[in-house]
Amino acid sequence: MAEKKERYQNRIELLQGTLDLLVLQTLQWGPQHGYGISIAIRNHSGEILQVDTGSLYPALHRLEKQKLIKAEWKVSENKQRAKYYQLTAAGKKHLSRERSKWSQFSQAIAGVLNPEQT
Amino acid sequence: MTFWRRETREAELDEEVRTHLNMAAQTLTERGVAQKEAERAAKRDFGNVELTKEVTRDAWGGRWLQDLISDARYGLRMLSKNPGFTAIAVLTLALGIGSNSAVFSLIDALLLRSLDVPAPRELVRITFGPPGIDGPLSSPMFDRLRERQRVFTDIFAWTNGPMVLSNKGVARPITGAYATGSAFPTLKLKPRLGRLLTWQDDEPSALSNGVAAVISEDFWLEHFGGDPGVLGQPITVDGGTATIVGVMPGSFNGITVDYSPQVVLPFIFDVALHGKSSCRFRSDCTWFSAMARLEPGVTFAQAQADLAAIAGDVLKELLTEGYQRIDYLRNGTLSLIPGRTGNSPLGKVYGRELWTLQTLVGLLMIICCANLASLQLSRTLNRQHELVVRSALGAGRLRLVRQLVVESMLLSASGAAAGMLLSQWMSGLLVRYVEQSDFPVFLDLRPNLTILAAVIALAALTVILTGALPALNLTRLETEEMLRSGAQRAVGRKRHPLAARLLPGQVALSLVLTSLALLFAVSTGRLLRVDPGFRVKGITFFGVDFERRPEKGEARLDLYRKMLDGLRRAPGVEAASVVAVRPLGEGGIDESAAPVEGHGPEDKHLFENVVGPEYFTTAGTKILAGREISKFDRFGAIPVCVLNQAAANFFFPQQSPIGKHIRSTEPNPKRPSCEVVGVVTDAKYLSLRESAPPTIYYPYEQLPDFRWAGFITRSHHTSAAIAAFKDALRRYAPDTPFLPPMTMQRQLEDSIGKERLVAVLSLFFGGLALLLTSIGLYGLESQRVERRTPEIGLRMALGAQKSDMLWFVLREATFVFLIGLPLGLLLTFAACRFVGSLLYEMSPFDPRIHLIAVLSLVGAGLLASYVPARRAVKVDPMAALRYE
Repeated sequence: MAEKKERYQNRIELLQGTLDLLVLQTLQWGPQHGYGISIAIRNHSGEILQVDTGSLYPALHRLEKQKLIKAEWKVSENKQRAKYYQLTAAGKKHLSRERSKWSQFSQAIAGVLNPEQT
Repeated sequence: MTFWRRETREAELDEEVRTHLNMAAQTLTERGVAQKEAERAAKRDFGNVELTKEVTRDAWGGRWLQDLISDARYGLRMLSKNPGFTAIAVLTLALGIGSNSAVFSLIDALLLRSLDVPAPRELVRITFGPPGIDGPLSSPMFDRLRERQRVFTDIFAWTNGPMVLSNKGVARPITGAYATGSAFPTLKLKPRLGRLLTWQDDEPSALSNGVAAVISEDFWLEHFGGDPGVLGQPITVDGGTATIVGVMPGSFNGITVDYSPQVVLPFIFDVALHGKSSCRFRSDCTWFSAMARLEPGVTFAQAQADLAAIAGDVLKELLTEGYQRIDYLRNGTLSLIPGRTGNSPLGKVYGRELWTLQTLVGLLMIICCANLASLQLSRTLNRQHELVVRSALGAGRLRLVRQLVVESMLLSASGAAAGMLLSQWMSGLLVRYVEQSDFPVFLDLRPNLTILAAVIALAALTVILTGALPALNLTRLETEEMLRSGAQRAVGRKRHPLAARLLPGQVALSLVLTSLALLFAVSTGRLLRVDPGFRVKGITFFGVDFERRPEKGEARLDLYRKMLDGLRRAPGVEAASVVAVRPLGEGGIDESAAPVEGHGPEDKHLFENVVGPEYFTTAGTKILAGREISKFDRFGAIPVCVLNQAAANFFFPQQSPIGKHIRSTEPNPKRPSCEVVGVVTDAKYLSLRESAPPTIYYPYEQLPDFRWAGFITRSHHTSAAIAAFKDALRRYAPDTPFLPPMTMQRQLEDSIGKERLVAVLSLFFGGLALLLTSIGLYGLESQRVERRTPEIGLRMALGAQKSDMLWFVLREATFVFLIGLPLGLLLTFAACRFVGSLLYEMSPFDPRIHLIAVLSLVGAGLLASYVPARRAVKVDPMAALRYE
C-alpha cells in the first residue's frame, strides 16, 4: 500500500509534491491550523511562496486521509475554535524521506545549472 | 470514506473555511483595516470558496458513491415521473426474463442439473435395449456384469415404483424404490440420520433378520415429525414389513429426476414378497436401472470399450435361456451413457420440445430488448433538451452517460426482480403441464446459480442495450448548436436511426414466433380431433390394488364380478368393464402371435390388452364383425380373443377372421391358442400420433393369474362413477386404498402433454411478441407525430388532405413492414425446417398458416399505428403553427 502511494505521488506534478513537503515541514514546529500554515509558509519563504488556499485545503485533507497528519479541534489564542493539524509518526518518517529526496533533487538541479562548481 | 459521516465532515469543512476567513480578517483589523474592508480582503485572498470546498471534498475520496447515490435518486425521480414508460419497460423486462428463466429452470431440472452426490461426473448409466432405447437391465444381466466388469468402482441398480403404505389399517399410496446394496456406497452418500443401505442389507441372509429400509428426509419430517426415534421402527409396505434404519439426506431425491422416492428398500424385499417368482431371479424382467461409478483414472471411452468387450458374452449366456424369441431382448445391446444428471425419462420425452421453447423465448427476449431499446431511445430523445442543458451547466459527458446507465440499471433490477417472481409462477404452471399420470411428478424447480447467472446476464444485456447505447449516441450531439437553434426544432430534424432500424427486426422475429405458434397450435388441434377409436367423454378408469386381498384365483375373479355388478347397478353409471391397459397410458403388453389356419405370416409382434365382458361397448369401440367378449368367456370355456382391424387384415387378408385361430408365439404363452370371435375398429394404443398398432384382446376371466386389471366405467358425470366405485370398494374390498381415478379426457390430454405444452406456450409467447411489437410501433409513430406536429400543421394549413396525413404517418409503418416481413418469412422458413418433426401430419410450410401469421402481424401493426395517425389527422393547424 505504501509503495503504491509513493508511486502515485511521484507521478504528481512537482508543485503539489512540494506543497505537501512544505505543509509537513511547517507542522514540524507544532500543531497549526490552515490559516496558520499558509501564513507560516509565506513568512518562512520570505513572502515568495504564496499558498493558494484552493490547493492548501485539498492538500491538508489528502494528507489527513493518508494518515500523515491528524486533525483536532482546539481553541486558538484568539478564543476561536479551529481545526489544528499535527504530524503523525508516519508523517514524520515521510517528511524526512521527502526532505532527503528534495535535497538530492535540488543538488542535482544545482549541479546541472552550475556545472563548473562540482 | 464512510458515507454517513459525510454530513459531519461537510459541517466541519464549512467551519474550517469560516475560521480561516475570520482569522485572516482579524489579522487585517489588527493592522488597522476597517472590519468590513478586512472581511472583503480576506475573501478576496481566499479565492473561490465553493470551488475550494468542492476540490477539498474530492480529496476525501468516495465521491463516486456520492454521485452514484444522487444518480440513483435522480433516476428514480425520472422513472416515477413517467409511470407509463416505467410500467411498460418493467413489464417487458419481467416477461422476457421471467419466461426465459421459467423455461430454463425446467430444462435445468430435467436435463442439466447434476445429482447431488460427490463427484457426479464419475457416474455413468448402463442401459439395455434395442437401438434408441435406454432401458433397464434384467437382474441376471446385472449380476453377471457386476462379476465381470473391471472399470467401475462398483455398479448398482435402482427401480422406482409406486408402493402402498399400510399404517394401522389405513392404506395410502407412496413413492417407493428398490436399490441394490451397492447403491448408496457407490453414490457415496452420507445419511441424514442413522445409516443407509449396505451390501449386507441386500443379501438373502437379510430375510431372516428383517429387511432394512431408508426413508427420505421429507417423508421423515412429514410422517414422523422429524423424530430421531424413527430408527428401528417397522414400516409396512406392499404387505411386507421392513425396519427403518436411516434417513436419506434432503438434497438427494433418488436417481430419477422427476421421481422422488419416499421409501427405499433393498431388492431382497421383493424376494420376501414374491418368493421364487420375484423379478430378481427372472431374465425376462428388465427392471434394473443400472448405474456405475468409473474407477479413478478410467475414461468414459475406456469404460465403453470394456463394456462392449464383455457385453456379448453376458448377453449370449442369458439368451441361451430361451428368450431369443422376444424381439426386445434379442435386439437389445448394452450401452454406456453419462450419468451425471441421473435418469430423466421426462427429459427424454420433453427434451426437444423444451429446447424448442427455449429458442422461442430466446427470440422473445431479443424482441423485448429491442423494444426496450426503442422505448428508451424515444424517451431520451424527449429528454434531449434536459440533457443538453445539464451538459451546458458543466455536467461531464461521462457523468451524463453514467446517469443514464444508472437509470437503466434501476429499471433492469426491478425488471429482473419482477421477472423472477413471474418465473416462479410460470414454473409452477409448466410443471402442471408436464405432469402426466395419476402420480404427481416430482420436480425440484429451485432457481439455481445457472438460472440466476442466466437471468443476470440477460438483465445486463438489456442494460447495455438500453442504457449505454442511447447515452453515447446522444452525447455526441453538439450542445452548442442544439442550444442555439432551440432544442425543440433541432430534435425535430434529427431522426433516431437506431429505433427505426430495430423495428423491422422486431417485426421479423415476431413473425417467426407467430408462425411457429400457429403451426404448433394447429397441429395440436388436429391431434385433439383425431378419432382415437374409443369414446373420450364420460369414460373413467379406476386402478385397483387387490394384491393384499385374501382372495386368490377363482375367488379373485369373483371379487371382480361383484365389483362390476355393483358398478353397473349404481345410479348414473351407464356401463362398466374390466381393462388392463388404459389406452394412451404409460405402457402396454407385448405379444407375438401367428395364425393357425392358412398360410398367413408367422410371428407378428402385437400389442395386447386384457379386457372384461362388454369392454368394447363401455369404451365405445365399434365391433365390425362377430361379437363382443361376454361374461361366458370364462376359464374352462373355449379360449377366445378379439382382433382389431389392423391385426385381422394382417393375419387373415381378404377372408373373415371369425372362427379362425391365433396361436401365441411367446416363450411361455399364457394360452397356446384362441378362437377369434370378433373384429373391432382400430383404437389408438400408446399414442395419438401413431396409427393404431395390430392389437389382440383377451378376455380377462380366461387368464386367472393375471394380476393387474382395473375398471373402466362410462357415465354422464365423472362424480357418479367415482361415488359408485368408492361404494363398491367399501362394500367388497374395504381395506384396499382408493387410487386416484383417471378420466379418458385427462388421459388423452396427458398423452399429448408435450404437444399441448408447446402449443399453449408458443401461443402465449407469440401473442406477447405481437403485443411488444405493437407497443414498439406505437411508440415510434406517436413520437414521430409529436415531433412533427408543427410540420403537419403547416402542411394542413397549406391544404393537405386528411388522407395525406394518414399516409404521412403510415408511411413509416409500411416501411417497417416492407423490410420486416420478407426478412421474417425468410427466418420462418429456415426455422420451419427444424420443427417439421414436431408437427402432426402437416407440412410446416402450409401457406395458409403463414398467411394468417402475416395478416395478424400487419393487423396488429396497423392498429398500433392507427392511434398516432388519428392524432396527426386531428392536429389543429392553427394551434400547431402558433406553438411553432
